[in-house]
Amino acid sequence: MSKSKNGDSGEPVKVFKWDGVAVKNALDDAIREVMTKKLPYTENFNLMDGRLLICGLAVGIAMFALAWDFIYPFPKSKPILIGCVGGYFFLMGILTLYTTFKEKGIFVVVMQKDPAGLDPDSRWEVASKMKKFDDMYEVTVRLIDGKSGASRETDFKRSVADFIDENGVICQDIIENQIMKMHSSLTAAKKDK
Amino acid sequence: MESFKALARMNPRQLAQQILNVFMVVTSAVMLWKGLGLVTNTESPIVVVLSGSMEPAFFRGDILFLNNPATDPITTGDIVVFKIKGQDIPIVHRVVRAHTKGSDETQSVLTKGDNNKVDDRGLYPRGQLWISRKEILGKVIGLVPWAGFMTIAMNDYPSLKVALVGILGLIALVSREDE
Repeated sequence: MSKSKNGDSGEPVKVFKWDGVAVKNALDDAIREVMTKKLPYTENFNLMDGRLLICGLAVGIAMFALAWDFIYPFPKSKPILIGCVGGYFFLMGILTLYTTFKEKGIFVVVMQKDPAGLDPDSRWEVASKMKKFDDMYEVTVRLIDGKSGASRETDFKRSVADFIDENGVICQDIIENQIMKMHSSLTAAKKDK
Repeated sequence: MESFKALARMNPRQLAQQILNVFMVVTSAVMLWKGLGLVTNTESPIVVVLSGSMEPAFFRGDILFLNNPATDPITTGDIVVFKIKGQDIPIVHRVVRAHTKGSDETQSVLTKGDNNKVDDRGLYPRGQLWISRKEILGKVIGLVPWAGFMTIAMNDYPSLKVALVGILGLIALVSREDE
């Protein structure tokens, strides 16, 4: 099995192969490598920034509540506390809604510039799913055309064993093959229009 | 360990998300605690018994649940939690005498631990013979025996506290949620 380059330092990526979450995250990272380094696309961070904002706001409110309660001890801090605790859990609700409905398992978004420079960028979204204690890794690649807004997607569902060797090393070249195939098929379908 | 290497491989945003995740574990716990305090109207809704002054009702390491409804008068026989001016640690003792005076119903209360030979006047600040309603944080409304043993251990051996927080922090930092 070929040990291929991965990661910024060029070292092969190794995971504890029995840790499902670590494996899924490592595979997601490998796909991100393909989408941003192998393919000439730039990563779009808006989705991630949204989540960072919600979390940051929640932590900020909590810190403020703590500081206020420290300076003005209970029960003087009661009204501020009610606002902050309420606000915090409201934001937690927003976060859950955001992860469930907006993020939907998408872990990387990249923008493809129109070669003629005329049309708005097309967007590629890759989402993944893996059930707990299951080895089936399901990936959906979606292409949203910049001009028409139409979206087309393709997916695969394979065992993680297809992408990792016995030592837990991620086989970047196998991932690359798989993603490039999906990329070509979606690009070709776009051209056929 | 691979988990730490995974941290090093993250881009700044992923790292920021990890750090926020650690914070959110802490802030969620703190907000739940403050929320509980709001519901029970007391600054510490759950306390651990630190001394044996209330035996055989309470033993060291028991967990007590407090409530502090604003309109509930303190009556003799109630077990209350109070803080003396200038002291940080709350005391859980029984009310042995309670007087209500005046049109605004100011209460003066004398407390004593069941297992103590004398009342608490020795604990009150010099010249103070009674404690007021304001110094009382709440009444005991529930008990879980033994469950507070961790707090006792961490009080007696403070390095345990540091070790526990350190370990929990590291675990939270390297565990990645399903992204």
